[in-house]
Amino acid sequence: MSVSDELNKIFREVFDDVSITVNDSTTADGIEGWDSLSHINLIVVIEKRFGIKFSAKELLTFKNVGDLKVAIEQKIMR
Amino acid sequence: MELINNSQFNIGYICSKLQCLSGRADKTAFKFITNKFAEFEFSFNDLEINTNKFANLLKKIGIVKGDIIFTLLTKSPEQFFSFIGSLKLQAIIGTLFSNFGEDALYDRLSDSRAKVLITKKSLLKKILKIHHNLPELKFIIVTDIEEDISENILSYGKLMSQVSEKFEVEVTHPDTPSVIHYTSGSTGKPKGVLHAHRSILTQQMTSREILKLNQDEKYWCTADQGWVTGTSYGIIGPWSLGVTQIHFEGAFNAASYLKLLEKEKVTIWYTAPTLLRMLMLSDEDFYARYDLSSLKHIFSVGEPLNPKVIDWSRSVLNKEIYDTWFQTETGAIMIANRPEMPVKPGSMGKAALPEIKPAILSKGNNCLEPPNNVGNLCIEKGWSSMFLTYLNNAGTYDGKFINGYYYTGDEAKMDADGYFWFIGRSDDVINTAGHLISPFEIESAMLEVPEVLEAAAVAVPDEILFEAIVVFAKVKEDVGDVEELKLKIRLFLSNRLSTVATPKDVVIIESIPKNKSGKIMRRVLKAGYLGTTAGDTSTIEDF
Repeated sequence: MSVSDELNKIFREVFDDVSITVNDSTTADGIEGWDSLSHINLIVVIEKRFGIKFSAKELLTFKNVGDLKVAIEQKIMR
Repeated sequence: MELINNSQFNIGYICSKLQCLSGRADKTAFKFITNKFAEFEFSFNDLEINTNKFANLLKKIGIVKGDIIFTLLTKSPEQFFSFIGSLKLQAIIGTLFSNFGEDALYDRLSDSRAKVLITKKSLLKKILKIHHNLPELKFIIVTDIEEDISENILSYGKLMSQVSEKFEVEVTHPDTPSVIHYTSGSTGKPKGVLHAHRSILTQQMTSREILKLNQDEKYWCTADQGWVTGTSYGIIGPWSLGVTQIHFEGAFNAASYLKLLEKEKVTIWYTAPTLLRMLMLSDEDFYARYDLSSLKHIFSVGEPLNPKVIDWSRSVLNKEIYDTWFQTETGAIMIANRPEMPVKPGSMGKAALPEIKPAILSKGNNCLEPPNNVGNLCIEKGWSSMFLTYLNNAGTYDGKFINGYYYTGDEAKMDADGYFWFIGRSDDVINTAGHLISPFEIESAMLEVPEVLEAAAVAVPDEILFEAIVVFAKVKEDVGDVEELKLKIRLFLSNRLSTVATPKDVVIIESIPKNKSGKIMRRVLKAGYLGTTAGDTSTIEDF
């Protein structure tokens, strides 16, 4: 499964909505219920599923799903 | 009260019609700013027309005085039109936090026997999961569909286009029920706190005397309308004074918020300590990019404001922050700091108005004289925004009043200068980011996770949220990947209850400590988690 597909699956699980389809330009404004607390859920699940860790500073740099995807890909390639 | 004539206490009337009659028909009531920064302005005349139409809409579908209506909306003009319009008809209006999950929604809609729900398409799916168990819910009105979905799921726009712009508000007695908000107690399900139209007296006076709102101010209350601050001070208080508000749809983001304060020339800002603590995370040079010279006062509410935030604001923003205190049950600010008196960092301030008489009482209901005796924070019965009852729960309501005092559940002390200081809760209720949540609600939801046998929830101190939730679970054997189970519990709570109920940590333990009567010993769990001492553990039955 590609990073994009896995990310989409995680978004559906975190926001309990099977209709969600994210792309690189998706932001918090495009997903109902994406607040600061559900964002933490999202990061926790991503870290677990991909076996990676984000620093607090990295978390502040993600402006959309594309940024998140790039960061995941860089970490899993290391 | 200056704005009430002919004994008309109707909140809807005062917030719209009376403002138009007072020469403010063309004045901006609110500027709605979307999450993409599109702007829409609504005058008090627009507010009057749209709320009249909403009252007529309700009448058209058979709603009468005393029926209960709920909104489940993010910030939107329809939220305000529904709220004020329902009150004009003397229906009871409740607002639901849009991130509530289906369990939280079901508890509130079923207990209240709500007849109508106003929502939007993206939130409708949560309601459809529980609709079959809500026989009293006659109509769901959806704000962003063109056509009706069924005979019960109707288009807001279509209905609004079919009704008159004129609505005569009947003279409303001050004790007529008005607004309902559900709040968590230490036991049982959330309880419906029912207010009356007379609440506007205290809401207006505190808006003027504490928040310093007058008709020249540009005011921004960041609270979501799903909570009491969002209705008392994001709708009623400011509009009863004809004040222009801004309402921003977008989520918190330091740059967006600072940009709005600057661009909109906000003069009075009412926000939450959690949000201020999140603002503090940015570097100091970040703030230098914004001109906040229009901003006169910052007020906060929700959970205690720690001195560190006040010091930060003084040095970085060059502004004072005035902390205020109230509860869903009190309906309006009871204790507050304010510009005309020195701020003692960490203090709740003093009684907000002469009619509000807080006191520190002992367990035996005796008045504890200041200075610095710690006891129950109580308010003498009889302030104008005092709640009417807990819906369907009069016994609990009666139990909150002893010898003419309302017991808040908070412990506090008063110093020699009359300032109150918050000490803690006298029960297990968790205050996370200004939202009260009962451990019971969290534990009940956790037990719905098939792998969980026993559950407990406690509050632990948190630098941003004031208190964070930590949950403990005794689980079945052979549950497989324990870390996956922890994720499952976390997401289950977030989606079934609310994002507010999201735990900071999930701990799997052998057994949940209980006393001999079976009560969960949360202080023991908390002490174990924090590495502190638990005090007397002699009554533990099983640990």
